Amino acid sequence: MSVPETTLFDDQRLVGMGVRLLTPENANIFEGTFSLLHCAVKDDTLYRGVFAVLMFPIRHTDRFISLRYTDADDKEKEIGIIDELSAFPAEVQRLIRNTLVKHYYEQTLTRIYSVENQFGLLFFDVETQQLGRLQFVMPWRGDRAEDFGTNGKTLLDAFDNRYIIPDIAELPTADRNAFTSYIYW
Amino acid sequence: MKRMATGRDAAPASVPNLVFHRLPDAVRDQAEKLGFKDDEMFFGVRGDLDADGSAAEVWTLVAKTRVVSIVVSGARAGAVTGPFELSAIQKARAAQNVGSAFLQLKIDGLYVDMARYSNSHRELFGRVARQIDRQVEGRPLPENALSLPSEMQCVKCGLPLPGRGAECPRCLGGHGIFARTLGLMRPYWVSILLLLTLMVAGVCLDLLPPLLQRTMVDKVLNPPAGTQLLPQHEALRALLLILLGIVGASGGRCLLNIFIGRMTSIIGTRITKELREKLQAKLISLAVDYYNRHSVGSLMSRVLYDVDYFQGFVTQVAQGFLLNVMLVLGIGGMLFYMNWKLALLVLLPVPFVIIGTTFFWRHIYPRYYKVWDSQSKTAQLLSGLLAGIRLVKAFGQEDREQKRFSGAAAYLQDSRRSLETSMATFNPIMGFVFGLGGLIIWYAGGSQVLQAHITLGTLMAFIGYLGMFYGPISALSMFSSWVTGFLSAGQRVFEVLDATVVVTEDPKAVRVPAMQGRIEFQNVTFGYDPYTPVLKNVSLTIEPGQFIGVVGKSGSGKTTLVNLLCRFYDPQEGHILVDGVDVRQMNQQDLHRHMALVLQEPFLFRATIAENIAYGRPDASRLAIMNAARAANAHDFIARRPAAYDTKLGEQGAGLSGGERQRISIARALLCDPKVLILDEATSSVDTESEQEIQKALVKLCKGRTTIAIAHRLSTLKNADHIHVVEDGKIIESGTHEALLTLKGVYHKLVMIQTELTRLEG
Repeated sequence: MSVPETTLFDDQRLVGMGVRLLTPENANIFEGTFSLLHCAVKDDTLYRGVFAVLMFPIRHTDRFISLRYTDADDKEKEIGIIDELSAFPAEVQRLIRNTLVKHYYEQTLTRIYSVENQFGLLFFDVETQQLGRLQFVMPWRGDRAEDFGTNGKTLLDAFDNRYIIPDIAELPTADRNAFTSYIYW
Repeated sequence: MKRMATGRDAAPASVPNLVFHRLPDAVRDQAEKLGFKDDEMFFGVRGDLDADGSAAEVWTLVAKTRVVSIVVSGARAGAVTGPFELSAIQKARAAQNVGSAFLQLKIDGLYVDMARYSNSHRELFGRVARQIDRQVEGRPLPENALSLPSEMQCVKCGLPLPGRGAECPRCLGGHGIFARTLGLMRPYWVSILLLLTLMVAGVCLDLLPPLLQRTMVDKVLNPPAGTQLLPQHEALRALLLILLGIVGASGGRCLLNIFIGRMTSIIGTRITKELREKLQAKLISLAVDYYNRHSVGSLMSRVLYDVDYFQGFVTQVAQGFLLNVMLVLGIGGMLFYMNWKLALLVLLPVPFVIIGTTFFWRHIYPRYYKVWDSQSKTAQLLSGLLAGIRLVKAFGQEDREQKRFSGAAAYLQDSRRSLETSMATFNPIMGFVFGLGGLIIWYAGGSQVLQAHITLGTLMAFIGYLGMFYGPISALSMFSSWVTGFLSAGQRVFEVLDATVVVTEDPKAVRVPAMQGRIEFQNVTFGYDPYTPVLKNVSLTIEPGQFIGVVGKSGSGKTTLVNLLCRFYDPQEGHILVDGVDVRQMNQQDLHRHMALVLQEPFLFRATIAENIAYGRPDASRLAIMNAARAANAHDFIARRPAAYDTKLGEQGAGLSGGERQRISIARALLCDPKVLILDEATSSVDTESEQEIQKALVKLCKGRTTIAIAHRLSTLKNADHIHVVEDGKIIESGTHEALLTLKGVYHKLVMIQTELTRLEG
């Protein structure tokens, strides 16, 4: 039996019990004490020390942003979700982006000059968008190189620093061959 | 400029990350302006990032009464956070984000970012946060807490360690895979020596026929002009003798081959058997954490398939590589002995061999990895699909799973095709190159025969040797293909063998033949990720024979308590004592012999019901097995089965209901007669009727034993001597059921919620 799409994806019972959407109408977001982000929600309360987390960090970097805070018991809780950041005033957008910048720290790799294997460790010599040329060491294990989107990879070095290759096919051929010689999965 | 990510700091590498009892030079002026002095300093710690993630040198200074952060370099150089009085700080924490973290201080209920750092500095800042916390709490600061050697990096050479606290492979002096494999063959050195001797004898026999052929041509069939012909009967006799010599050499070689082949097989199969046993023993000894990082499919593939390459290694040593090297040397020597000029021409293909081998290593070698990966992924997918077949059918996802499997099968096909097509191209080209070398010799040697510089017999012998020479050369060039497969398999096998056993047995471990069952957690702090504690400074005591309930929300740390007690992991701080002995100093077999674990999802092996019940005590009598089953309320349903206790169970107890599986696992625990019984949500996934049956069984099981029961259904803990409520890694309430109800705290709230749920269900 085919089910109409609307009932599949727009079940009002789920909407009522699901996430709270934050909009410019119901959320006042501003910088407050200690330059921390604050968020006052209409018919709710003022949340202090707010931070933002992307719910789809690979596919949607400007949408589906969860605003969160740490409660009195040191537990992280969600205030609500911003569906479209662009719907908010420019200043709020800036504040949210600033807090997102604090939450994520990844180097984007543009070149892979060499990869060498020694002692079960891969020694990378790479070019990054943010820090220029650098070297890092990564244990040669499947769990240290995970898929990023459909054709990319996230590498975790020995200290869990993160390196992103958005699309392996975009690497120069020699770099790609050097990379896939070791990261073949 | 090249930089190591481990030291991506804006500051020079020579600047230490930590200074004690003085102001760091980089911020001295600014700190002094803020009123900080050397004599009031505890320590200063250097971070490598500014708040926006740009590289910067940021110092956080922790003095006796105040904390401040100062940005030294980067776009915000000179910016200051604080100073904050210690009296205003509620706590400190290392807040982990994605790829970096913040040192945060809680002030006025808000966490303020003091310093941002990359994960390379995580270990140091994790310690710093704890240190500030201790200072805030007024607890004494251990002198060496901050300057302890790193568990992540080798203190000597700086190489990142393969695991927390593991040995540095570089400083240990890493052995190559070949060297280690040869090490595996050490116990068989006498046999190997015999093999090598036989091989030398075989090579000598191989060299004999062409020499005899030369004599046959030059002395019997076609003596050079000017030499005396043998009388016919003598020529025939000589011909027969020479042929007999050739037959003798070939027959001897045949016998040697049979002997060598048999010995190789015996040694090879023994080595692979021993290696599989070693791997299995290692896999069992590895911490649970290892299995979180490696899929079962890939580990199975290593034990089952990769180990076969080691048998191939023995074959290569006995019949492949070494034999071919000896043949090349022996035949090469003969060629140079007979005619050095012609012999030099034989070497013409050598550069092509080198080029071919290099090409192979660079372009074909990586394809072996892909084949292995694709096999492993296909196996994983299939294993998951078959294990979850009911779910797939229930959600009607057969087509989708079919497509997913097709994708994996296509990947396997592509990777194999890629490897085999490249091999199919590479091998004939190399063969052609060698063939050309042979033609050169025919031309050059033929010319010399025509000019009577050498005899026809010599050329025939030369050509005979040449045929034998290119064979081993060709095999040696192909040897690289075998080596590549062997190296990748060897790397995967040794990776398991080299994995760090996080939980190790103390060589002086205390034997505990009998256990009372007194358990004590002393200030235990533990996190699966050491920077994110799951248990925080937990202390509790359980007297022998007590029934203890542990309740709390999912993720609160209940099961972690049990994991630590069973020593699946060791705590980062504090001690766990059983009968007054730290479990780290206790013989692990003794510890586990006196404990029994009943899990939420009982694991049953593919064996009979009786074998499953007797898993912990294989020597148990039939009667004892039935007694245990009876006590666990399992006897009746077992008896109703046609094969009763001899019923063979399917994968993970297939063929039994959830409640039946659980009762068998309880019988298994009961048969071991443990002093400490751990019930981890033992009844949470069964229906009410089964739960009642199980509860009845548990009442019998718990008598006279220390029992720790983790439960969501609080009704099952009413009779507990003591109940601990765990929340966010801490024990927040303790007492009897009644006392906790009177307290009207978290436990009371949980009971009320469950009562309400029961009412709604009713």
